[in-house]
Amino acid sequence: MRIFGRVSQEQIVFGLAVLLCIGFAVSLPGFLTASNVLNLVRSVSILGILGVAMGLVVIGRGIDLSLVALMAVSVAWMLNLVGSGMPLPQALAVGLAFSLLVGAVNGWFVAYAEVPAIFATLAMGTLIYGFGRYFLFALDVAYIPDAAKPLLWLGQGTLLGVPVPIYVFAAVCIAGYLFLRYARSGRYLRAVGDNLAAARITGVPVRPIIVLQYLLSSMIGFLAGIVTAASVASMNTRLALSTYVYDVILVVVLGGIGLSGGKGGIRNVVVGTLLIGVLLNGMTIMDIQYTVQNVIKGVLLLTAIVIDTIVNPRDEQTAQQGDI
Amino acid sequence: MTPIVEVRNATKEYRGVPAVKDVSFTLLRGEVHALLGENGAGKSTLTKMIAGVVEPTAGEIWIDGEKAELATPSEALKRGIAMVYQETSLVPSLTVAQNIYLTDDKRFHRLRGIYIAGQQFLQSLNFQVDPTAMVSSLGAGQKQMVEIARAVHHNARAIIFDEPTATLTPEEKHQFFSLVARLKQRGVSIIFISHALEEALAIADRITVMRDGEHVVTDAASAFDREKIVRAMVGRTLTSELYGSHKDRRARPAGEKVLSVQNLSMGKVVRNTSFSIFAGQIAGVFGLIGSGRTEAAKVVAGVLKRDLFHGGQVRLGGRPVRYRVPRSAVRDGIIYVTEDRKVEGFFETMSIAENIHLGALAGGRTKSVTVSMSEMRAIAGEWISALNVKAINADARVIELSGGNQQKVVVAKALVQKPRLVIFDEPTRGVDVGAIAEIHQLINRLADEGIAVMVISSYLPEILHLSDRILVCRQGRIVEEFEGHKADEETIMYAAVH
Repeated sequence: MRIFGRVSQEQIVFGLAVLLCIGFAVSLPGFLTASNVLNLVRSVSILGILGVAMGLVVIGRGIDLSLVALMAVSVAWMLNLVGSGMPLPQALAVGLAFSLLVGAVNGWFVAYAEVPAIFATLAMGTLIYGFGRYFLFALDVAYIPDAAKPLLWLGQGTLLGVPVPIYVFAAVCIAGYLFLRYARSGRYLRAVGDNLAAARITGVPVRPIIVLQYLLSSMIGFLAGIVTAASVASMNTRLALSTYVYDVILVVVLGGIGLSGGKGGIRNVVVGTLLIGVLLNGMTIMDIQYTVQNVIKGVLLLTAIVIDTIVNPRDEQTAQQGDI
Repeated sequence: MTPIVEVRNATKEYRGVPAVKDVSFTLLRGEVHALLGENGAGKSTLTKMIAGVVEPTAGEIWIDGEKAELATPSEALKRGIAMVYQETSLVPSLTVAQNIYLTDDKRFHRLRGIYIAGQQFLQSLNFQVDPTAMVSSLGAGQKQMVEIARAVHHNARAIIFDEPTATLTPEEKHQFFSLVARLKQRGVSIIFISHALEEALAIADRITVMRDGEHVVTDAASAFDREKIVRAMVGRTLTSELYGSHKDRRARPAGEKVLSVQNLSMGKVVRNTSFSIFAGQIAGVFGLIGSGRTEAAKVVAGVLKRDLFHGGQVRLGGRPVRYRVPRSAVRDGIIYVTEDRKVEGFFETMSIAENIHLGALAGGRTKSVTVSMSEMRAIAGEWISALNVKAINADARVIELSGGNQQKVVVAKALVQKPRLVIFDEPTRGVDVGAIAEIHQLINRLADEGIAVMVISSYLPEILHLSDRILVCRQGRIVEEFEGHKADEETIMYAAVH
């Protein structure tokens, strides 16, 4: 396993992405056209933004399975509110507040009620989708109403020939990077993810930091939702039922953010996004069936998790410490 | 008659640190053999080698006169050697009978069948346990019976007990002893690790004493008395060179009373304990593992939440305090330095500098929302040179350092928080000799600077070397107090064992 020790997972994945890129470019005629490359990066930016959201939680040794459901429901509700006459800024504020509230509840369950994150957020995702469908809107798909047309720029506009979602992705990445490196709470978050008991003894406010993780992920998720809605001019809430959230986890784990927490950073999200983006795009061009794509993604996710447990093993020596 | 188990010149090293050094040991058929020694003397490691839990680095194990390679506990069990741990290895959500027959080769068990068989089997052993009862509903003594029954069911001819009586009530202890006698009658050999000297004297045929991983003496139990055992347990040659004599140094006078604990209780572990810690002094707390010393310290520092039903008062500088999280204790200047740095000490994915700086951040030394990299480097540099942490640079990861340097980082992370009271729990566990001396110097320096220092250790020379006052903890409470320069090893050990 020493090989993995010297070559980080991040580098392996980056190498794979480059290889895959070259492979597709040679074998698929439509792959390396300017429009496809831009399309690829644009379609992948949303996944990347969500990856940052998920990455922050996973670095803090949590997981947020309600991310996609919350994004779909809050944005769909926001669009419905605009459609029924609420001014856009106000509707945005309501949507964001709703997201943050759900994030805070997630955080409370994980930090204070000490429910394992995977169950708390899985249940929350189901609950949110049902709640949204029943109370907040009637139709599965929420279209962007005229009053919300300015938002379209976020998804479909270009700046200097580059699609705006790419800028949003870049901005989120930079913000995430700065947060983890320079913010006191970012440092705390890494500490909590690395070693919760040690963080607690050192005097880190562990529980508020856990709540913060979920607040951040739901906030970034809301932004990703707006970009999603803007790029296709609608928000399909059935996204909440799809396997999309697992794609996000795939990006995070594949990039090398260990599920055991504390490891990795935004760079890993970018690398993971790149590989998944290339892969998904190439498979679509090759006209591989959606179900087969799922098989490939599933195998990839399993492989990534297996590699993760091999590269970052639970230390056997721990059990023997003080046991002499 | 060939001995059932014979260990020949066995050595076991963990990361180059020997836990057991060149020990030979024999277990005769049908004998009760007590294995005594301080914490860290190597008793557990020796027995684990016999039970196939750990493999010896060097040396051989012979069973029934044949050389044996015991790679796993189940291989040892096949050869008739079973080990009963302090924490039971039973499955709590299964019944007694299911546990006893759990690892049998049969693929399916008819429940009724195993209940009937279990009933008869337990009766033949004269154990009063209901085979249909859930293990989780049993008391500690009954669980032990089930463990033993399981071992006997596997035709164990040698059973190793690791501190079997530590968690038992007096009545259960009594039952345990009669049980040992019955096993002996059946020709089963028993190894019995204990801290309770009287028990060993009462039930053992032979006694072996270990110290610092080495074999000291083995003899018939009748050849020992309490004094002789204690002397064998603590008599030191090598270590006295490192720690020097404690009698020629003067105790520091007590400063202001920083911490006063009165009638503190928590569950069954801390029982109505009272003690005080003074500024500018080192208070050494000696106690064997399980005596509640760590737990009492953790309650004081807010690491463990106190059970609501158990009371007691903690005063910091005369002010009553009750911490629910360590954060508030840290803010008040009470810092607990853990005994288990890997589990709750340092952050392995972070650099040395980040680790130390995190202490500064969490201790409230800096108020800003952002982290200043130059400040981090300055603080880290200051502490790395102050504690002489040996690393390539401040960006090295703590996990890559040696045990001693890891410990120094953990200590630096605590001291950067400007404590009034530092509680060191086993400050030199798993630390190399050079670093031990440095950490001891540092602890002395802290007390000289007027900080209240509490050092918890189960290593007597360390306690004697450091302490101005010595508190002895036994069964959840501080039972005796000595002046540091007047105490000697035997009296302290006497107070600590029951």
